Amino acid sequence: MIYICFNINPPMHISDGIIDTNICIAANVAAIGLVWVAGRKTPPGDVPKMGMTAAALFVASLIHFPLAGTSVHLGLFGVAGIILGKRAFPAVFAALLFQSLVFQHGGLVTLGVNSINMGAGALFAWLVWRIRRVNERVRAFLAGMLGVAVPVLLMVAEFRLSGYGSRILYLLGVYLLVAILEGFITLAAAGLFRRVRPEMLD
Amino acid sequence: MKHSFLDRYSDLDSPVHRIDPRARLIAAFSAIVIIVSEPHGRLLPFAFYGIIILFMTAMTRIPPGFILKRCLAVSPFIIIAAVSYPLSVPGAGVVENGYLLTEGVRSGLTIFLKAFFALVLLILLTSTGKFHRLLAGFRKLGMPRLLGVISALMYRYVFILHDELLRTSRARDSRTPGAIRTSRVRVYGNQAAMIFIRSLERSQVVYNSMLSRGFAGEFPDMDKLRVRAGDVLPAGFFILLLLTVRIISQPLTERLFN
Repeated sequence: MIYICFNINPPMHISDGIIDTNICIAANVAAIGLVWVAGRKTPPGDVPKMGMTAAALFVASLIHFPLAGTSVHLGLFGVAGIILGKRAFPAVFAALLFQSLVFQHGGLVTLGVNSINMGAGALFAWLVWRIRRVNERVRAFLAGMLGVAVPVLLMVAEFRLSGYGSRILYLLGVYLLVAILEGFITLAAAGLFRRVRPEMLD
Repeated sequence: MKHSFLDRYSDLDSPVHRIDPRARLIAAFSAIVIIVSEPHGRLLPFAFYGIIILFMTAMTRIPPGFILKRCLAVSPFIIIAAVSYPLSVPGAGVVENGYLLTEGVRSGLTIFLKAFFALVLLILLTSTGKFHRLLAGFRKLGMPRLLGVISALMYRYVFILHDELLRTSRARDSRTPGAIRTSRVRVYGNQAAMIFIRSLERSQVVYNSMLSRGFAGEFPDMDKLRVRAGDVLPAGFFILLLLTVRIISQPLTERLFN
């Protein structure tokens, strides 16, 4: 099972028709609400940064990392959380809207579900990143890991609520490896930010 | 700089291409909701949906091969979900009294068909008009202003960052050839970070030049969108058609199969 999943690139964004429609509609409403809350009182100077980060998020997700004879595409929601903080949510939403429209990664009706999943990853990454007492490298690793692990946990919950059986939990094992990989990627990225543009991290 | 990956076939001319993006957006969204809210296990309505969508596809003149190729790229997720449903639900066995088309298998099939039809509708939506007009449609339909500005910025810079990705990938591959080593994780992390850094630097320059040209927080829409009867009627007819199938399919199934 694990081998099969790996061989066909672990999917992160839920397509239309896979999970219960009521969950999708409720999530769309909640996501728009969260965009409003997270985007409230955004200083005008931050808007281009959000747009660019959204574009970078979209583009960086096209990077494929070779793993176990196949490839895993990067999510980088942890990095978005580190850079943008709570303002990552609208950026993640916009990036997912583009992914849905351009590559059909994730559906139109499931846009709310997907952005809550991935946005929650970014928000948790931000929360961990804010614990200044912990070593920065540890924080970066955890932020990257949570950027994948939180979305996956939410995804499993949504599948269970839509009537899928408990064997869907096998997915967790596959994604745990991806989460660790993202942790290391984010660790490296944060290291480069620290060396080149430290103001991005503070 | 290649940007046809955003909206290939958007410059074809067909009755569907001429419809206002807002009408197309509402039609596609409603159609997907109608189809995906169909309960598990009933296959008959999907035959009708299939015919309607096939007819739509033919009308748009978009090559079916293109649509299928796009679908194939996303299919792993759909197939995993469709296969895992009958396998993971207790009591929904794959074979029952020697019959293969059990409750569980039918549910799996409906999941597959729902996802497939939704995918085709989404591809038709983005391929039947310019991408920036679609985004303008979203804005006109009441998308939060912040999201509108972010997506307008994304639309303008995603190509440039895509070039950045190609450049950094070329640099990466030429410096770390050969086998996969764990140290490569760092290389990939650095590449991702580099894309973020360059995008941020560019956003500052862009923002300054936008301010100096009088940017006041909103992008003006260059082409005015107008909704005419010619937009509303076909979109409304399409939604009504699917809704009819959705409503009559249950009594029809019961009459035919019970």
